[in-house]
Amino acid sequence: MDIYDVLLRDFPFLLKGLGVAIVLLAALLLIGFVIGMAICLIQLYGPKSRLLQWPLKLYERVFRGVPIIIMLFIFFYGISGVFDISAFGAAILAMGLRSAAYQSQIFRSAFQSVPSGQMMAARAMGMSKIKAIRHIIFPQAARHAIGPWTNEFSSEIKETSLAYVIGVVELTRQAHYIITSTQGNVLTVFAVVALMYFVLNRTGNSLLYAFERKLAVPGFEK
Amino acid sequence: MADNLILDVQDVKKAYDGLQVLKGIGFGLRKGETKVLIGPSGSGKSTLLRCINYLTVPDAGRIYLNGEEVLDKNIDNMRARMGFVFQDFNLFTHLTVLDNVRICQIKVSGVDKDTATQRALRELERVGLGDKAAAYPAELSGGQQQRVSIARALAMDPDVLLFDEPTSALDPELTGEVVRVMQQLAAEGMTMVVVTHEMSFARQAADEIIFMEKGHIVEQGTPDILFNSAANERTKAFLNVIAEHG
Repeated sequence: MDIYDVLLRDFPFLLKGLGVAIVLLAALLLIGFVIGMAICLIQLYGPKSRLLQWPLKLYERVFRGVPIIIMLFIFFYGISGVFDISAFGAAILAMGLRSAAYQSQIFRSAFQSVPSGQMMAARAMGMSKIKAIRHIIFPQAARHAIGPWTNEFSSEIKETSLAYVIGVVELTRQAHYIITSTQGNVLTVFAVVALMYFVLNRTGNSLLYAFERKLAVPGFEK
Repeated sequence: MADNLILDVQDVKKAYDGLQVLKGIGFGLRKGETKVLIGPSGSGKSTLLRCINYLTVPDAGRIYLNGEEVLDKNIDNMRARMGFVFQDFNLFTHLTVLDNVRICQIKVSGVDKDTATQRALRELERVGLGDKAAAYPAELSGGQQQRVSIARALAMDPDVLLFDEPTSALDPELTGEVVRVMQQLAAEGMTMVVVTHEMSFARQAADEIIFMEKGHIVEQGTPDILFNSAANERTKAFLNVIAEHG
């Protein structure tokens, strides 16, 4: 059996690996979105108390400042010592919390790019701060955030392959299984896998750009 | 407080970093009156206007709207009853003209969508922009944007309208259309406080002109008195400079 037959035969495994990567990606982006948005809102509009702001800043700096592989090891081996956590769970947690740190800063700069006059006008019309954020600031910030968020989406797709190091059977590890079982063919197998990552990446990017275009405000320069 | 004042501003003080910008300013406004605040830049006119609706919180003094004191705890309600027109319009850039004029009716006053739409279209008609309802702010000229922002304020059915240098950010050829709308409002009996350098508007539409300098009211009176027989040398000097350059 040559490598192409093997690839054809084992393609369902690659697809399964891709599925695992996609679930990991979706979960980590969701965690990152929820926590990142919360951090952003507290940093911008929450109480200025250092007791609150300082830990958030520390969290954000630490998760942006440590390599993800180290975080994966810490979360997997560190947590599994005290608490039963699967490699998949550890990967979601480590990567989701890291994405939260990045996303919080994407959102923060998007919110900050909305001119201060918008909030002032909303408040001057009698809107509460929360209503102003919800109806006036958020819709504008969201438009500014889609571009940088697309970058985050792209890097996280690629980073899911690192979950391989703690044993998550995602696309890269499935590829490795095929290589091991056929003793070689590294280039061919990884070329197929690279193509799969690339297609996923481009598809996601195209959808996000389409979304960005759909939300674009007429007459408003980007 | 004095009787039947819509707006009563009493002894307002404000300092920034030890610099006293407002040194105890008071004035009142009856229904239908237009008062124009003039004075050199840095005299505290805009700060005073912003203190009225707490966009800038005053250090001291009291503000009453229809006899009710403006306070931190009722500020959203009070602001909804005081329209504010900004120098740089501050239209909500992501919303159409129509949505700009109705969003606060719906989200602040709780007006239903149909009523808000009717009201918005009527106010847009009033400022001469009935045909721009579907446009976005970035598609309009500065003068049109400012007229939309006036319509946005009017749609809240305010007791008083506050104008903060509404024509200062406009190209000279666009100030006319905004000034005309303001003159029309004054003639229709809208109660307004206007900070402006448009002396033609002050002369024609003001019931009273208040001349401020260095955080004080230097002189106040009807346009006729201030323009023709100002008592204070500072007022005369300021009006002369404006007359030469304005």
